[in-house]
Amino acid sequence: MRRSLAGNTAAAWGFRLSRVQCYPYYPITPSTSCSEQIAAWVADGEMDTVVINVESEHSAASAVISSAKSVRAGTATSSKGLLYMVEVLENGSGASLPFTIFVGNRATGAPINIWGDNSDAYAVRDSGFIQLFAADAQEALDDIIQAYRIGEDLTVRQPVLVNLRGFTGTHTFEPVEVPTAAEVDSFLPAYLPLEPLFAPDRPVTYGPMLSAHYYRRHKRNQTEALRNATGVAEKVGREFGEQLGRTYRNFEWIGDQRAELVIALVGESSGAAETIVSHLQGQRGVPGLAVLRIRLFNPFPAEAVARALFRAGTKAVVVLDEGLPHGDVFPPLAARLASALQAYWGTEAPRLASVIGGLGGSEIRPEHFQTLFNLAANMADGRPYRREPCWLDIEEDPILLTDAGKVNPKLWKRYGEIWKAQPVLPPYHLPLPSCNYEIRLYGRAGQGAITSAVFFTGAGIESGFWVLTKPTFGSERRGAVVHSDTVIQSQGAAKTRCFTGRQDLVCIYDDTILLSPSHAPAHGLKPGGTILVNTDRYTPNRVRELLNLAPSEASVLVVPASRIARELQLGSFFNMVMLGAMHRVCPLLDFDLALQFYGKNVPLPKEANLEAIRRGYLETTDREVAAPEPPPPDEQEEAFFHWRPEEESLEFAMLRSLENPRG
Amino acid sequence: MLPSSNQKKEFWVVGRLVFPRDKESAATPGSPVPEDSQGSRRSAPQGDHKLLGFPVIHGTKVIARRTDLEEPPQILSLDELAGHAMEGLDYPTVMNALADLGPEGRVVLFSRNGKLLRWETFEDPRICKDVERGAVIHNLEQKPPDMSGWRTHEFSIDPKGCLGTVCARCVRVCPENAIHLRGEGASSFCEIDPTACKGCFICWVECVRKSADCILIDGKVFDSELRSAHFGE
Repeated sequence: MRRSLAGNTAAAWGFRLSRVQCYPYYPITPSTSCSEQIAAWVADGEMDTVVINVESEHSAASAVISSAKSVRAGTATSSKGLLYMVEVLENGSGASLPFTIFVGNRATGAPINIWGDNSDAYAVRDSGFIQLFAADAQEALDDIIQAYRIGEDLTVRQPVLVNLRGFTGTHTFEPVEVPTAAEVDSFLPAYLPLEPLFAPDRPVTYGPMLSAHYYRRHKRNQTEALRNATGVAEKVGREFGEQLGRTYRNFEWIGDQRAELVIALVGESSGAAETIVSHLQGQRGVPGLAVLRIRLFNPFPAEAVARALFRAGTKAVVVLDEGLPHGDVFPPLAARLASALQAYWGTEAPRLASVIGGLGGSEIRPEHFQTLFNLAANMADGRPYRREPCWLDIEEDPILLTDAGKVNPKLWKRYGEIWKAQPVLPPYHLPLPSCNYEIRLYGRAGQGAITSAVFFTGAGIESGFWVLTKPTFGSERRGAVVHSDTVIQSQGAAKTRCFTGRQDLVCIYDDTILLSPSHAPAHGLKPGGTILVNTDRYTPNRVRELLNLAPSEASVLVVPASRIARELQLGSFFNMVMLGAMHRVCPLLDFDLALQFYGKNVPLPKEANLEAIRRGYLETTDREVAAPEPPPPDEQEEAFFHWRPEEESLEFAMLRSLENPRG
Repeated sequence: MLPSSNQKKEFWVVGRLVFPRDKESAATPGSPVPEDSQGSRRSAPQGDHKLLGFPVIHGTKVIARRTDLEEPPQILSLDELAGHAMEGLDYPTVMNALADLGPEGRVVLFSRNGKLLRWETFEDPRICKDVERGAVIHNLEQKPPDMSGWRTHEFSIDPKGCLGTVCARCVRVCPENAIHLRGEGASSFCEIDPTACKGCFICWVECVRKSADCILIDGKVFDSELRSAHFGE
């Protein structure tokens, strides 16, 4: 059954379906909700697992390693948590123990940054773990199930990290097919511990001290086991496809089979790249393009990747890394790809450039891949290119020279010749048509804007649409302005994972956001788009004035959502009213069908919330909202507000309170 | 028939073919080949026989032609090797036996309720076979190394002077566990394991019966040089 899940919840489903027997964890953003979900299931008795609330990630890793000696174990972590585990991680890989850690990839400070990039996974690159990079929540779920199969294979027996980009992966709500327990059980057999602890007949010692002779021989064996994982992962991905219908490869080749220009990357950012490949494919003056998404990052399938590039006759490869080289020639992925090409292809290997982007939650937008393909085309053309890594989205040091005024003059000496030799090729920069329906909600944290977007996503998925909701996180102090993006795929069969940043509908949950100088809610609105505001004090024309919109540019609708919620005794929870109002504007989803979904899922009080949705739908208007009736005056309240201290002395008040004891 | 603790299935071995079938349907326990085996193998819904990876032969005539298939396979039952997975698997034995079998070897795992979990052609992933996977040490199979090269003097205990169970101080203080009690009661005495003793003098210093000189060094009962070196006398 397809349902709307966030990446973390999907990962939790992966652990649940794999029948994890021990799950020690220490919470850390952004992977917390995976562990929370598992703890909740265990508390509700839905999952038969020992959850250990340990005091640190170091202990979580120690506990997961020691439990993996006897049972199937897993945990989730991120960023510094993973780095704190590093000290014990190698005990797991060295002791040949299969277990799985789900990593919501996040930047590793300083400076502190909670958003996504791959620095944490790259930092543990050399700890002997098998590393899979998932591109979406569905793959995270499937990868965790496969991770146990790969890790527990008798020729491998090594621990696995399953990576998913923080927030854009772990917190995006998207359609996920959750396999049934029976399906997974037939794919993933029960855990067979080879050297269990506490076996009285066969006592064993883990982690003994070995001298150099045995140590090097042991490490040779360990390396061999890790090498075997390449073939096993490929086999397991194929079997997964045969049994559960979704086939996975060690790397995905998306686009032209004879691609001259290739962008290589890992993880969730491939969604935007795929959109650009299908957009630019077949344009005049554009050769074959492809995205090479590496799924099995460690052990790196070097020979297979080199062969695939050779078969395609690739001339230029641009590698996008969401991490730093830290003094290496290239960041980790580019370094691996470059050495793979050098080792298995040799002198005729394609030109390879490295690009650093997406650091600390930086957006990787579709336009970026247009620039990268342009760069690749220039490289294939034989033009000089930068051997050091380039950077995305840094105006002072651009990849292609567009605005010379912003460039740091210091860099002219180093890169000036390269910039001048790298033309901007117009065919690569054709504007991306935005054919999907995109919605952006602006609200203040605590108003439930994200909740209503999640409900909207669920209803859309129930109606058979491909809907993604990507909330923003980080500034969610109560009252801060937050936004959440939703895309409803209206065309094409390929499942999009691309937000163009141009919306058909902008919902503003709080009319004070219209006055906020640091927010321009209408700046991404498509021509002919709609603005929907929760207000009972501004007319649509006034809203238009506040946002500097011409009447032809956008239609403006208002709904007195807060007032409706108050009238329905919902207090300040007006997000369900806004949900109904969104349905009024969005033409794609059938409102009656959605109401059936909401009838099953809205929070308590159910009737009032359903009525709120209905009234929101009905009372959305492009005309002025009737002024609210003033509430009848409350005598007690009046008296309270009109009381002045000089009216009676404190002693008198105390005496009076004694005279009239309460109750 | 294969020995197995599987509750629902039993396994008939004919030549190099293994037929798993339900226990209830085993109507003719005496006959080695199930009568309907050829027919049912094709229609078996689970198709276990294919997954086993042994040569699949359709029809008894083929078996008659290929006499090589009638040779019995070498069978390793994990059930024999591990009564229960928690009690541990004799991993080196499985490894070594499968290594002997070569590419014909199969590991077939069935769940207790009779369902086929997986089979695989097994290959020992180790390059260096003298180190266990995961550097795990099997404590009961561990042979203690000979430490006699560490010491510069030979230590022994004179059983005549030793108090045995009454004292046993040297047994407790020995950092290498090299001293063991022998005998019982009044006739008991302590003994130093010559391969484990590293010659640290601790027992000699700690012995309560110094005047009896029950610990002999290089066969001598008293050595003034050693005494002065250790006690500064």
